[in-house]
Formats: sequence, structure tokens, C-alpha cells
Amino acid sequence: MDLFLQLAATGLVVGSLYVLCAIGWGLIYGTTLHFHVAHGAVFTLAAYYAYAGQKFLHLPLAIAVIGAILAAAISGMLIDLFIYQPLERRGAIRTTLFIASLGLLTLIENVLAIIFTPDPLRMDVGWLADSVQLGPIFLTRLHLVSVGTAIIGFLALMAFLKYSLWGQAIRAVSSSPEMARTVGIDLRRVHLLTYAVGSAISAPAGILLAMDVGAEPYRGTTFVLLASVAVIMGGIGSIPGAALGALFLALLENLGVWKIPSEWQSTISFGIFLIFIVVRPRGFFGRKIQSAEI
Amino acid sequence: MRIALSSLLTLTLLAGMTTAAVPAAAQGNPIKIGAILPLTGSGASYGVWMKGGAEMAAEELNAAGGIAGHKLEIIYEDHAADASKAVTAMRRLVEVEKVPFSLTSYSSISLAIQPIAAQHKVVIMNGGGQSDSLAGKDYLYNNIPVVSNEVGVIAEWLAKDKKLVNVVMIVANDEAGRNSASTFREKFGAVGGKVVAEERVALDATDFRAQLAKLKARGGDLLYISSYGRNVAIIADQARELGIAVPMAGTSWVLVPETFKSKGAEGMLVTKLPFDPNSAFAKKFKEKYNTNAGFFAVQYYSATMIFAKAAQEAMKKHSGALTGEGVKDAIESIRSFDTISGKLVFQANHGAVMDIEAGTLKSGKVEVEKTIKAAP
Repeated sequence: MDLFLQLAATGLVVGSLYVLCAIGWGLIYGTTLHFHVAHGAVFTLAAYYAYAGQKFLHLPLAIAVIGAILAAAISGMLIDLFIYQPLERRGAIRTTLFIASLGLLTLIENVLAIIFTPDPLRMDVGWLADSVQLGPIFLTRLHLVSVGTAIIGFLALMAFLKYSLWGQAIRAVSSSPEMARTVGIDLRRVHLLTYAVGSAISAPAGILLAMDVGAEPYRGTTFVLLASVAVIMGGIGSIPGAALGALFLALLENLGVWKIPSEWQSTISFGIFLIFIVVRPRGFFGRKIQSAEI
Repeated sequence: MRIALSSLLTLTLLAGMTTAAVPAAAQGNPIKIGAILPLTGSGASYGVWMKGGAEMAAEELNAAGGIAGHKLEIIYEDHAADASKAVTAMRRLVEVEKVPFSLTSYSSISLAIQPIAAQHKVVIMNGGGQSDSLAGKDYLYNNIPVVSNEVGVIAEWLAKDKKLVNVVMIVANDEAGRNSASTFREKFGAVGGKVVAEERVALDATDFRAQLAKLKARGGDLLYISSYGRNVAIIADQARELGIAVPMAGTSWVLVPETFKSKGAEGMLVTKLPFDPNSAFAKKFKEKYNTNAGFFAVQYYSATMIFAKAAQEAMKKHSGALTGEGVKDAIESIRSFDTISGKLVFQANHGAVMDIEAGTLKSGKVEVEKTIKAAP
């Protein structure tokens, strides 16, 4: 039983990073229908921004983190502004955008590997690394921060979408771009805003990973893959669905270790995903995936 | 145009023929050798030591007039623990650089490139990998004992001296990790110990918590780490963080700078191969690279020196020509080499034997408790 609780807790911690990555990616995909795999690069960039801020600019941890989140948001916007928008203006189809995104992901990852080496670079987090015991469960303070960040990030995003004018514009575009355009919403500006918000919400996941086990150039690919699986499982266009999907994947991965040898972790996740997409393509909530959307 | 092309072709052919006929022998030409090392990835700390050791040897040799008047030049290749990268590097060294000799590292890497070495008659010398399967391979020499010697020592020490008999094991899922683990299981069983559980992990992983939690639940009075590189420190830290309070243990390859710095690794029970941190070599290394030398720095220094000695002998015998075959014959006929860590004798299985020390890791140092002399 203790093992179950420990694995569930570890799953929850990993899950909180998946959640942040998935709701950011899901927001972007649900609104723009760009299969933005370069989101993985933004996630990784955030980790290196924070690392560089702390190690090279000698900023205090909090300032480095906030700076990295802002820089990640700007990076997301720049990708839309200089890659996707010009392509869309020239009438590129979604597959072209996807290939461009994949190219960008590979490019950024490799440039990061050249600059920073492929080795994980861990940030100094001081007392956050100390471990805490909650009954039979052992975690570090940083893990509690991860869970807290995911909860706050999720609630903040929901509130933003529901109550702010900009959030409502994003929701309008997400549910029907044509209708949004007819009522006078500038699609391009909403897309830019979506990239900023989606990138900023996922950035903490990359930074928290850099604090816990280190920033690595190729980690973003795994995360964006898991995020897309989570979003499709949760239902496209649904933020709670994406969060639930991400949490489900993380718990499955970690609890799976309980009875199954750990080298099968990703086999389990993607096996379940395949079953899901065949049996319930609508996901937990949200709309059914149309072939045109992928 | 056609003439230009054909003359270019002829030139290329001629150039190819001359290098093939007198490999690296013309007076003044440098002797090129390879070094396929973990310069990046989870074992990058070994790479710093290995490259540094080889570099120091080359500089000392060149300052003293080189090998029979030829400068020694080492071409470094990064394998990042990836066998396919190593194979490409080895092919480049053999086909483009036409080296007669290369340093190699890691068990899986050395095993992957050995067929190329044997086919092209290029000697490879491994000073780091310890898998038992490295023994008795054509053209592959190991100036380090294979793991069964050292694992045998640690298994007996843990069971008899430390009275730790129920072990849980975390194992790197590669040739070296698995081989060391299965040898440990066998040797530990022979002295009355028992492996209660084993979890395999990827060498490039950075989060071992799920596996460690599972091992913790299985109990045991010792956590045996059959992994290497920076992972060891991460495993040790994450194990302590999860409340695993039992001692940890591992053989010499757990001793990398990250482990010495890790809080979790304090008190780890280890075996090590002889290395004196106060030696003149260690001081010089520290001065030159501004980092503490380790056992593997000496290993690659020695391997380079062994090559130099063998090459000299081979060139003397073959009137200045240097080939891999010549180097191999020279190693076989010299057999016993004087190195900075004592006399090294190659065994019939192409491996070496050394004394093994057992002790505890305390504030960045190993306090040696017992020395097990190499069987003659």
C-alpha cells in the first residue's frame, strides 16, 4: 500500500508537469488548429532561459524564473509571427505547417545541444531540494511546488478564458473561427495572444524540470508527444480534458511500474492511447477528431 | 575537362597508394591514433579523465622526441555511450585516418567496434569497460581487469565483512550494467547473499523515483547500484529523498566527480582499483585541467604509453613501418609493461589484473578498509 501511495504521489508530481505542458499545447491546438510540435522547443527553451538567467546573468531564482516565462511567451509569439503566419498567408495546408513545426523543433533542439551540450544542466534550488515526508510518502519541496504550480496554472487559465475579454476572444475563435471573424475579431491577433498564453502556461513545466533533474535539449519532444496524446484523449478544445488526460497518462506510467517492469512505461501509455483513439475518439470531453484536424 | 578529371583521379589514386604502402612511416610524419571516448552524455566525466590522461601522455611523449622521431597525434571521437556513433567513428578512424591503433572505452562500445578492428587489423585498447565478454577478443586489449574479479571482491566483502545479505539492485540497461549485475548475482549467491529484487533503468534517464520506490517496498538491507556515470549520484540522491535508509554499494565505475559531490552517496560502500590522488601524475593533472584526476585518467595515460612502447618495438622490427598487426605482435611479445601505477601484465585473455581496494565513501574521499591483492 505504501508503494502504491508513493507511486501515485510521484505520478502526481510528474503529472503536474504534463498538465502544464498539455493545457498550453491544447489551448494552442484547440484555437489555431496548428499541430504545434515546436511547443516542445518552447518548453525546452524556457528551461534553458531559466538556467542561463541563474548561471550566466546571476539573477535570483525567482527573477530568473519569471524572466524565463516571459521569454518563452515571446518565443511562442515569434514562432507564430515569423513561421506560421507567413505560411498561412501563402495558403499553406496544415501538413505544411506541421512539417515546418517539426523542422523548427529539431533545429532548436540541436542548436541547444551545440551550445549547452546534451548533458542535463541542473539549476540550484537551495532548500527547495530538501525532502519532506507526508506519512509514508517522500517528496521534495520542489515537488510540492510543481503540484501547486499546476493547480494555480490550470485555475488561472480557466479564469482567464472565462472572465477576461481576451480570453473570451480566444474561446470564440476556438469554437468557430468564421463566426469570430464576422463579429470583427482579428484572427491573427488572437492567434498571437494564444501563442503567448499557451507558451507561458507550459514554460513553468520546463523550468521545474530543469530545477529537479536538469535542462536537457531533447526532452521537449517527449513532452509535446505526451501533451498531444493527453489533448486527444481529453478531447480537443477542452482544457479540463487536456489536464485530465495528462494526469491520467502520468499516473498510468507510474502506477504501471507497480506490477509491470519499468522499461515498459511508454509502451503502456501509447498502448492505452491507441485503444482510446479507436474506441473513443471524442476523448473524455470535447469534439471528435476530424481527419482534417491532424 | 575530361583530362582534368582523369588526372585528378590518378592523383587521388596515387595519394591513396602511397599512404597504403608506408603508413605513417616517412620521417617526420606524425603517427595518428584514435580515441573513442564518452565526451558527452551521462559518462562525460569519464571522458574528461580519459581524454586528459591520453593528452598528457601524448604531450610528454612529444616533448621527449616522440615515438622513434615521429610526433604522436590523437584523434578524439565522441561515442556518447551510443554504439552506432562509435561504429561510425571507428570506420572514420580506420578508413579515412588509417590509424593502426585506437583507445576505446565502455563495454558495449568496445564490443561493437571490435569486429571492425579485427577485420582491418587495428589494435584497440580499452582502459574503462569491464564486461566479462570483453575477454579473449581478437585485436582488443584491456588494460583493466574484467568485472568478475572486482564484483567477486565486493560481493564477498559485503556478505562476509559487512554482513549485508539481502540486496535490492538498480541496473543500467546496457551491456556493462546487465553483465555486472548478473555476475554480482552469481558471486553474491556463492557467498550466501541473496538478490531480492532488481529494477532496470535507461542509462540516459534522469528520474529513477518510480523504480526506487518499488525497490524500497521490497525491503533488503542494501541497495546495489550496477550503473555508472552521472546516474549514480542522481540515483543516490533520489534514493535518500525517497527515504531509503539502507547502505548503498557499487564497484569502481560509480566513482565519478558527481558521486563524490553527492550528499546521498555519503557512506557508500565501494571497491576501487588502485589510484593515488597524491601522486605526481594527479598533481600535474589537477594543475593542467583544474579538476581532480581519477583512476580513468591514469588508465588512458598508461594505455597511450603502452601503445608508444609497442609502436617503438614494432617499428624497430619492421624497419620503420607501423601497422596494427605490428603493434599487436609487439604487445604480445612484450606482455609486461611498466606503468605509473605499477607493473601491468596482459593475460592470455587480453585483460589485466590489478589489486582491488574496498572502502567507504566519506566526504568526497574513499577510506580504504581492505586491499585484495591481485592473484599472480
